[in-house]
Amino acid sequence: MIFSIRTSNCVLQTLLKNYGMFCPMLRPQQLPTTFGCFLFTTPYQRAKSVDPKALHPAAAMWHSKEREEGKGERRSGKDWSSPRPFNLFAAGASKKRAVLHDAFSSGEQPIISSKKMTLSPPERPLSAEEWEKMMGDFVGTKKFEDCMFEQMIVHNSPVDVAKSLLAAVAKRDGDIGYGLLVKYLVLCVSQKQTKEIYDIHDIMKVRFKTLDTSGSSLLIKGLSDSQRWREALILLEEMKKVIIPSKGNYGDCIRGALANQEISIACKLFHEMLGKDVTPKLETMQIFFDTGKCINDASFKSELISILNYLRDNQVYPGEAFMQSIKQWFESIPGENWKGNLTPVKNSGQCPSCEKFLESINLSAEEYDILKNKIIKDVIQGTDTFRKTTPQELEVFQTFVSQRPPFDIVIDGLNVARVCHKNNPSQTLLDVVNHLAQQNLRLLVLGRKHMLNGSRQWNRNNMAAMQKKADFFFTENVSEDDPFLLYATLHSGSHCKFVTRDLLRDHKACLSDSLTRRLFFKWQRGHQIVLSNYTPGKRIKFEPVLNFDTIVQTTGDTWHIPYDDNLLERSSYEVPTKWLCLQQK
Amino acid sequence: MLFPRMNILSMHLLNAVRRSVFQLAVQDGMKRGVFLVMPSKVMMHRTLFLSACLNKNTAPDTTEKLDLDGWKHVMRTAVQEESSEGTSDSEEDSRVAATRELIEMWRLSGKAVPENISEEQLKILMDSPTKSSKKKYLQFLAKKENMKKAAKEKKKQKAAKTEISPEAQDYVAGELKNTFLLKFWSRSEDAIYNWRAAQAMIFGQPLVFDMDYENCMSRREMENAVKQLMESEGINRRGKDPFHLHYCNLKTGGLYHKELIRRYGDAWDNLFVTVTEKAYNEIFPRDQIVYLTADSPNIMKKFEHDKIYIIGSLVDKSIQTGVSLARAKRLNLATARLPLDKYLQWEEGAKNLTLNQMMSILLTLKDTGDWKDALQFVPRRKHAGFMEMSLSKDQIDAWKKTKMHERTVGKEKSHRSFAGNSSRWQVQKKWWEDVS
Repeated sequence: MIFSIRTSNCVLQTLLKNYGMFCPMLRPQQLPTTFGCFLFTTPYQRAKSVDPKALHPAAAMWHSKEREEGKGERRSGKDWSSPRPFNLFAAGASKKRAVLHDAFSSGEQPIISSKKMTLSPPERPLSAEEWEKMMGDFVGTKKFEDCMFEQMIVHNSPVDVAKSLLAAVAKRDGDIGYGLLVKYLVLCVSQKQTKEIYDIHDIMKVRFKTLDTSGSSLLIKGLSDSQRWREALILLEEMKKVIIPSKGNYGDCIRGALANQEISIACKLFHEMLGKDVTPKLETMQIFFDTGKCINDASFKSELISILNYLRDNQVYPGEAFMQSIKQWFESIPGENWKGNLTPVKNSGQCPSCEKFLESINLSAEEYDILKNKIIKDVIQGTDTFRKTTPQELEVFQTFVSQRPPFDIVIDGLNVARVCHKNNPSQTLLDVVNHLAQQNLRLLVLGRKHMLNGSRQWNRNNMAAMQKKADFFFTENVSEDDPFLLYATLHSGSHCKFVTRDLLRDHKACLSDSLTRRLFFKWQRGHQIVLSNYTPGKRIKFEPVLNFDTIVQTTGDTWHIPYDDNLLERSSYEVPTKWLCLQQK
Repeated sequence: MLFPRMNILSMHLLNAVRRSVFQLAVQDGMKRGVFLVMPSKVMMHRTLFLSACLNKNTAPDTTEKLDLDGWKHVMRTAVQEESSEGTSDSEEDSRVAATRELIEMWRLSGKAVPENISEEQLKILMDSPTKSSKKKYLQFLAKKENMKKAAKEKKKQKAAKTEISPEAQDYVAGELKNTFLLKFWSRSEDAIYNWRAAQAMIFGQPLVFDMDYENCMSRREMENAVKQLMESEGINRRGKDPFHLHYCNLKTGGLYHKELIRRYGDAWDNLFVTVTEKAYNEIFPRDQIVYLTADSPNIMKKFEHDKIYIIGSLVDKSIQTGVSLARAKRLNLATARLPLDKYLQWEEGAKNLTLNQMMSILLTLKDTGDWKDALQFVPRRKHAGFMEMSLSKDQIDAWKKTKMHERTVGKEKSHRSFAGNSSRWQVQKKWWEDVS
């Protein structure tokens, strides 16, 4: 058995490597050895293809190189790559930067922690005496059966081998502990042994009054795919008494309900989990769309549209597989004639496939006000105004800003000055200020008081030259300057942009609720100018600001859905660059 | 060659045989015997010959029972465990009962949970908002329980070892010796310490613990802070020349106060410490106060005997930057931090030290004024040793670079900040210059 799994794995791996195709699968090595979390989740809420790196680091490097080359080729033909010049918030940017900025690029293989294999499970069922013999040879701190079962799970042994061990234990003790049963259940669920799952379920019901979380989760997972899926719902109800079930538990029950065409139950569960602030897995939402293809029902259609709105409201981006399901569902709606295309979007914000412009990144007036007040309340003042500044300083700054006409650009002096290590910081800042001043923009430069002391780094002449071209505000040396930057930009109005390379993640984290955080991120993407290229005395280049919002959006007869590429790792402060464009012909 | 008798083989057992046969074919072609017995006690004996070569390890004559589903029967016939049923049907009680049952099941499935849990602990558990916080708390309780058990066991063993036989005891008691002193008990030691502490109360240099951080700490952090405070007080009492400790801003009846009383018990009222609800700036002249905080821009050059140092008694496991600095800023006090970077090759960990470490460092400084001596109390895991003061700046930079290199090579690197970080290696004139 193992042999066959391994080979098929190898084949799949090579397929994956060569064609980058996506197929979710379990590798025996990946089966979790902890039972509390037998729920296959991935970070960032997206399905991840199996990482070839895990097996062949060298191959992975070659693979990525090939992709890079491929990108180049494609760019000359069809523009599949992310919009260039490269945007700070485009998915994969931080990964790229990490490579670029690596002073010591490590070509070494990752250190694989080799766990000592103390036991290897037998290939065939053993008799009680043979097990006894094995037990006698075993030296370890834990109990033999537990160790053996864990190894069986790792090796994905046939259930009969596990059964024979259970039989041996039952013969010896006249009873089998709950822990062993749960471990056996892991094996049965991962191999989809429905009959065994039924049996264990019945035994546990008789023997134990309640189940623990891992036992319930496994049973829910196992029963959901079977004829007795309704019993999974009962187990879920039991769980609710003590704790809030996980997204996996809900997801399994919903899967069971949808597989048996019980739409109303699935929808009820979905709304219930949203009500409890449990974030649904992308796979769960995908199943809704997959089911929708075969069901033509107006109320279910509105359910699916509400899922799309959920994605929009929570800035969740579907993965590639989910996106395909959405596309197929739209195209399967009879009489509506939807057509889906995959496309990147130009910087102008115009979708190449349907010529429509995407939503603007600018905030509405009330959103703007909410954000401004929150920034003052949470980021600048926080729990204690003295942490980032002082009340007096804040007041001085507020009057300073309000007495001047609105600015066009606010510059984070210290951040910009340190862009180029070889150059004198005051010289760098002077160059940037001059460059921007030529365009007749009203500038504000924020700095700290030590810049005025006149040192080698902060040349007095340079400072004086700058102060002719721009307004300056110097904070105390122990104050933070970023909050002032945010305040000044917001105060000047929505036309005002700010220049810094800082990703402002810590300030975003100060905001109290997720809605404001999303607003902040949106505003940041639309108002932050990044100095992408600076050569002293020669060129100064800024990254263009995106003027469309990367979010699931509709105009009624079109849908635009940004999605995550399977092979590109996206950080939480980046947005996808690929889009699904759906239009009604 | 197979001689199957299908008519009495259930499909399921056949599957089992097939599987094992398949595996044999795949594996090594060893000859094995599979013996299957039905509940009807019909004996089946089949031998497989897959290859001409005979394996000597298996005895084809042995007849064994290999009943794969027998355990289910065993389990079903076993009686259900009796559990105490709560008679009351109120919502709260049923929740408590359900939580207790869940803990019990977690224990059965081999998770780290305590065997016994008190009402008080159960209440804390019910109040923890998430599943992970519940699990963490239970894990903590389990650890505590295990430690207690281990300590008890050790005590027992020690008692068994030191049990002296009665005749030997007589011998010891019967031997008379001339001694200049009676046995020196710890009582006399305590008396000496207390005299010293009393002296310090009158003539000693004040050292203030600022207790105004109640609402910045979680329950665990609070407990840790009180433990560290007790340690500090002990270290101070044993010092050659103790400080006169002040616990300022200690709200009577506050969480901190309650926890201190709970831990100290009756000893709380006999401590040679000044406890007050007043703030330090009301007691001491402001120009003499120095607030010690790791976020301070000023480095402490030397220990001054006429200053009043303030330590914020805050345990911030989630490093809360600038909380104590903000307090000093508000009252416009002088601040200082220890010159850790100057004397130590810092490697890892936060530069905020525990209260008892601070206490030891300050006591040593007060006695000797030697930084090297004092900074030996900084945990050794955090630094690679003392700086050679003769090193030039370039050498230090080179060392730092190699350190960075060692740390980064062969590791999956985290995303760096967008602003290049080589500025970190430049010698910093002022700590804030590179922060923007």
